[in-house]
Amino acid sequence: MDYLVAVLLPQLLHGLVFGAALGLLALGLTVIFGLLGVMNFAHGELFMLGAYAGLGVIGATGSFWLALLAAPLLVGMVAAVTEIATLRPIYHREPLYGLILTFGLALVFREGVRQLWGGDMRRILPPFPGSTPLLGMLYPDYRLFLLAASAVVLLAIWLFFTRTRAGIIVRAAVQDAEMLDGLGVNVRRVFTLTFAASGALAALAGLLLAPVFTVYPQMGVEMILLAFIVVILGGMGSLGGSVAAAFIIGVAQSLFSLWMNPQRVAIAIFGIMIIVLIVRPRGLYGREGVLE
Amino acid sequence: MILEVDAVGKQFGALAALTRVSLSVAPGQVFSVIGPNGAGKSTLFNVISGLHAPSTGHVRFAGEDITGLPPEQVNRRGLAKTFQITNVFPEISVLDNVRVAAQSRAPESGRLRSLWRRPDVDDTVLRLLEAFGLGRRADELAENLSHGEQRYLEICLALATAPRLLLLDEPTAGMTPGETRDATALIRRIVVERGLTLLLIEHDMSVVMGISDRVAVLHFGEKIAEGTPEEIRHDPRVIEAYLGGVDD
Amino acid sequence: MSKPPTWRVALVFALLAAVPFVPGVSRYHLLLAFDALLFGAIAMSLDLLIGYTGLVSFGHAAFYGLGAYATAVLLERGVLSVWACLAFALVVVGLYALVVSYFATARRGIYFALLTLIFAEVVYTFFRYTQTFGGSDGIQGLPDASVWPGVLIDTPTRKYYLVLAYLLGAWVVCRRVVTSHFGRVLVAIRENEDRARFLGYNVQRYKMGACMISALLTGLGGAIYPIRAAFATPDLMVWTESGEFIISVMIGGLGTLVGPVIGGAFFTLLRDKVSSVVDWYFLVIGAVLVVIVLFMPRGLLGLRRLVRLRRGRLPA
Repeated sequence: MDYLVAVLLPQLLHGLVFGAALGLLALGLTVIFGLLGVMNFAHGELFMLGAYAGLGVIGATGSFWLALLAAPLLVGMVAAVTEIATLRPIYHREPLYGLILTFGLALVFREGVRQLWGGDMRRILPPFPGSTPLLGMLYPDYRLFLLAASAVVLLAIWLFFTRTRAGIIVRAAVQDAEMLDGLGVNVRRVFTLTFAASGALAALAGLLLAPVFTVYPQMGVEMILLAFIVVILGGMGSLGGSVAAAFIIGVAQSLFSLWMNPQRVAIAIFGIMIIVLIVRPRGLYGREGVLE
Repeated sequence: MILEVDAVGKQFGALAALTRVSLSVAPGQVFSVIGPNGAGKSTLFNVISGLHAPSTGHVRFAGEDITGLPPEQVNRRGLAKTFQITNVFPEISVLDNVRVAAQSRAPESGRLRSLWRRPDVDDTVLRLLEAFGLGRRADELAENLSHGEQRYLEICLALATAPRLLLLDEPTAGMTPGETRDATALIRRIVVERGLTLLLIEHDMSVVMGISDRVAVLHFGEKIAEGTPEEIRHDPRVIEAYLGGVDD
Repeated sequence: MSKPPTWRVALVFALLAAVPFVPGVSRYHLLLAFDALLFGAIAMSLDLLIGYTGLVSFGHAAFYGLGAYATAVLLERGVLSVWACLAFALVVVGLYALVVSYFATARRGIYFALLTLIFAEVVYTFFRYTQTFGGSDGIQGLPDASVWPGVLIDTPTRKYYLVLAYLLGAWVVCRRVVTSHFGRVLVAIRENEDRARFLGYNVQRYKMGACMISALLTGLGGAIYPIRAAFATPDLMVWTESGEFIISVMIGGLGTLVGPVIGGAFFTLLRDKVSSVVDWYFLVIGAVLVVIVLFMPRGLLGLRRLVRLRRGRLPA
């Protein structure tokens, strides 16, 4: 019982937070792919840029909260500029070009950051270092905050997709991008905003998680690989499916880390993916035909 | 009956695209499926041709149960479908387009032999192109064809697989009235010449009334009427469905 | 697609065969030429997938690296026959490629890119972080391989001819595939995967075939590498290596076969010059990829290829 509360539970909670971040990334990937037709290999880098933008803002102002506001905005702008300059010209081309281009962008972002900030691990200190007694365990306050923040962000996204006109349109358009033409919306703007928004969300996740992990140029790579697995498992036809799969992977990753070293954890997660693919080739929630 | 659609239903999540649709097509018939937008006509075609497995019901082709078979296997059994939005191979020539379609039936296809032997189908291909007036455009890239010519190419691709049943999804979509008349006459002639059975989705009533032996009407995923063109034209349920919906 | 007549190809190979006899050619030059031709051949086999079938493999380095380890494992144990090494590499890479291609081709094209990447990452993780095959050091200090008992591939010249033979073999195979009915279907799949299915083609089977052929050719290339370098390390399988293969194909021109060979060779020579400036090397690679896609999708050669524009997402 002690083990359950002292070790398993915190790890489970940590896995939920990690899963929420993965979910944000996977959602971004799914929406961008469904709407723009591009698989954004650079999405992990947007996550990473969020942490580094946060570093920059904190360095300049000393305020984590200001960073939380400014970093996603900054990264969102970078994403918007990127979309306009590099993605827009190639939408009409075959999908393989988008893949190769975003792969290149990922390299540019990653190595650019390494040049500017160096490859060393950096730390962002949690804005409040205290802990709270919970169920007989001392649980870091920041982690509790993360739990709350993840719930809020996911709720906001859910509300957006189900209750706002813009969100409903985007959700439908993810299944069938051609319908946008008939709605009289400015498609170019929708694309740019969508890309920027998913970039901003990824950046937010990156900054929020930064105090828990270390900040280094490669941090996006590991996230994107897991996000890809989530996308493969969740299928891209269902937004809810992506989030659900993200939680499964997030929790699995967290729990496995208790018992195995990082490399074995990676192989175990991979094993899960293979098993699911054998049993349900379209992923857990994939539907035939649409995006499959 | 060459095609039997038996109480087929299709659900997409909460959306019921098709509900207990049944129809039978006799060999050599021209059978049209009509209905307002969103009635489920294309979904019905997608289920028959294998893109989606139906949630309920069965599809039988020439006595064989083909429910849930993938598109390539359905095609191999003699059922070919065209697409509502032109779906050809854009960056290769018209000849190559139809040739690759025809070659799928060659004995070398799908085997190791296909690495060093090229099936010779050019005669068949050229004759098919000639029949649709595309002979002189054989070397043109498919994407450079006019809209009407591309619709014909769509049909050629389907015919090149030597089907017994042809599913045409709005073959005259986007054509001018003149082109539509020509296309209808051409399709009718080819169907008779080759002894094909034709299952047709059409919005243009003149086409439907002109060449159909039987007509079925779908509305909100259900079949609301079936009969000869004359019967359908005067069916009050059909009239109401069209008046109530947005149509051409 | 331009089809170089056979005599032109023969001439090129004859010229290449004459390289070791050019006055002033040193050991260094020959080994550099070896690398260039090896990379070029692998880029060519990748072109089968990317250029002709429209499938981007982000995990080709795994096929390459596995081939290298296959040879290394045999050489380490004293099995010096180059034929044994090649055969063993075919088996090892073949099994891996079978599994990967099966899962990667089961769904739409985009999943191919994702799954090849993930599989390659797992393979890399396994070789780099477990001690089974030497961990990050890999297998070092390998002896020379032999063509015949007693006839060792020990001089740079012999190694060079080995890679030249490999290039010739790979070229013949690729040309055969591309001009065959099988190759035509691959192009159709690239142009419109759904349509091909509705015409009766088992698209997954064709994609798997293309992937297997490409993987096996690449694996053979990897198998030759330790014969030149006397080691095999996990660095051969790093995902950035996959990126370098892709860039070689893009530089040369998709869907041309010849282009990627030249692109691969060019890239190798370039890398040799730039390798000392490791720091912003990858930045340049990324930037080059972006620039090529945006401004030079036909690559340096700009040869006319069969693949191009399709499906619009934005209104004109």
